[in-house]
Amino acid sequence: MKRFFYRSQQTAVGAVLLTVFLLLVMPEGVRARLKSAIGGLFLPAVSISTTGQAAFESLGQLGVSDRDSYPANQAHSSGPRAVSSITELQLENDRLAGENKRLREAVEWGQRIPWETRFARVVGRDPFNWWRRIKINLGGNKGIRLNQPVISVRGELLGRISEVGPLTSWVLLVGDPNCRFSALLKESRSQGGIVSPRQYSTDPRVVELTYLPNDAEVNPGQSVVTSGMGGAFPKEIPVGQVVDSWVSKNGLYTEARVKLYANLNQLEIVRVLTTY
Amino acid sequence: MTGRVNKTLGLVIGAYLLVFLQSHLQWPRLWLGFQPDLTPALLVCAGLTLGAGQVSTAAMLTGLWLDSMSANPLGLSVLPLFIAGWAVFSFREFILRDQLVVQFYLGTTAGAAVPLLQVWLLQLVGSSPLLGWQMGVWCLVNALLCGVAVPVFGRLAKLLDRWFSHPLHDPNRWPNENRQIVRGKN
Repeated sequence: MKRFFYRSQQTAVGAVLLTVFLLLVMPEGVRARLKSAIGGLFLPAVSISTTGQAAFESLGQLGVSDRDSYPANQAHSSGPRAVSSITELQLENDRLAGENKRLREAVEWGQRIPWETRFARVVGRDPFNWWRRIKINLGGNKGIRLNQPVISVRGELLGRISEVGPLTSWVLLVGDPNCRFSALLKESRSQGGIVSPRQYSTDPRVVELTYLPNDAEVNPGQSVVTSGMGGAFPKEIPVGQVVDSWVSKNGLYTEARVKLYANLNQLEIVRVLTTY
Repeated sequence: MTGRVNKTLGLVIGAYLLVFLQSHLQWPRLWLGFQPDLTPALLVCAGLTLGAGQVSTAAMLTGLWLDSMSANPLGLSVLPLFIAGWAVFSFREFILRDQLVVQFYLGTTAGAAVPLLQVWLLQLVGSSPLLGWQMGVWCLVNALLCGVAVPVFGRLAKLLDRWFSHPLHDPNRWPNENRQIVRGKN
């Protein structure tokens, strides 16, 4: 421990402690702005990663179009190479068919959704497992505002905008301890509140519906939708399905486990509700 | 550039890339069910090989970058990371730091201690993170991953150092080992 008393080491320890102290006593607004500015340092890396991914995808498509332009008999004439080429084409065909299906679904679901929405790409996630947030590639410059609801391509509830930066925004997902809202059972119209699960689970699709009246009929498989109360989310956005239910420990209300419709682990494209 | 500047630059770039990958790579979450956090391993590595200034710089930058990408209050991760790095730095003369097993144990200990400290600090500042017994399993697996990551980071740092630094000049070293001065009468 003798080393600890060297002057340079004292400076190092002092600098760290001073930084932490200053950050903790800083006013909330200043801290939020500083956080956004520090987070902005990752924008070049994000754009390089996104551009690289797009270039990679376009190269793949270029390869397909080149192969498509070959005469058919040439493809059949070169033995094992032709077989591998056909297999590659089949794989590419499957990929494109899947993408086409997803896009068709997105357009169809878009026609069913009664609100104006804007597509956004998921570009990042909260690195800590005890929070559930995603980062999208739309920010204040594209008209994104705080607390706008975010839904999946198929219209299932995902969360709300919690931080807006100039070019990117953070979405607080359903199941995060800070994302609570009013919901109701679609059939019985019994109202309760969606909260994060009491214990951390590796399955992010499970949340809890609490404060349901004891006389409410709660059965597995029942649909849960947003109630529109509080104005956080518009009414009737699909949330999930009841898995099981129980009476709370104090006996005052009923609670239920709800499995979300949206798979929060596999989000690539989301919709932000701009007018609702 | 001197070796010291090279090492500091390498550490900062490494920390930046690590935080970026942790928040932008999806497949570890899909495979493991959680996002691994290897920043404690980086700090252990810095504590084993670098100076006090570099350890504190790494802790500050990594902590601030991590918090800026998360819902944690800004600056919360700095202290746990610094404690991990500084503890290793302070006692590195008393341990067999070149041994892989020692590096593994140090990484594992830091990988388990840092998240626990972060959660404790979060609760201290009034936040309510999502906790549970599965988080303990995650903490354990993450600790093992950190244990494996320390020697890997160490090797990577040595490799980069070899690529980007000049060998040290030793003026007292005779260039030809076989050369002898034969003294005679004339």
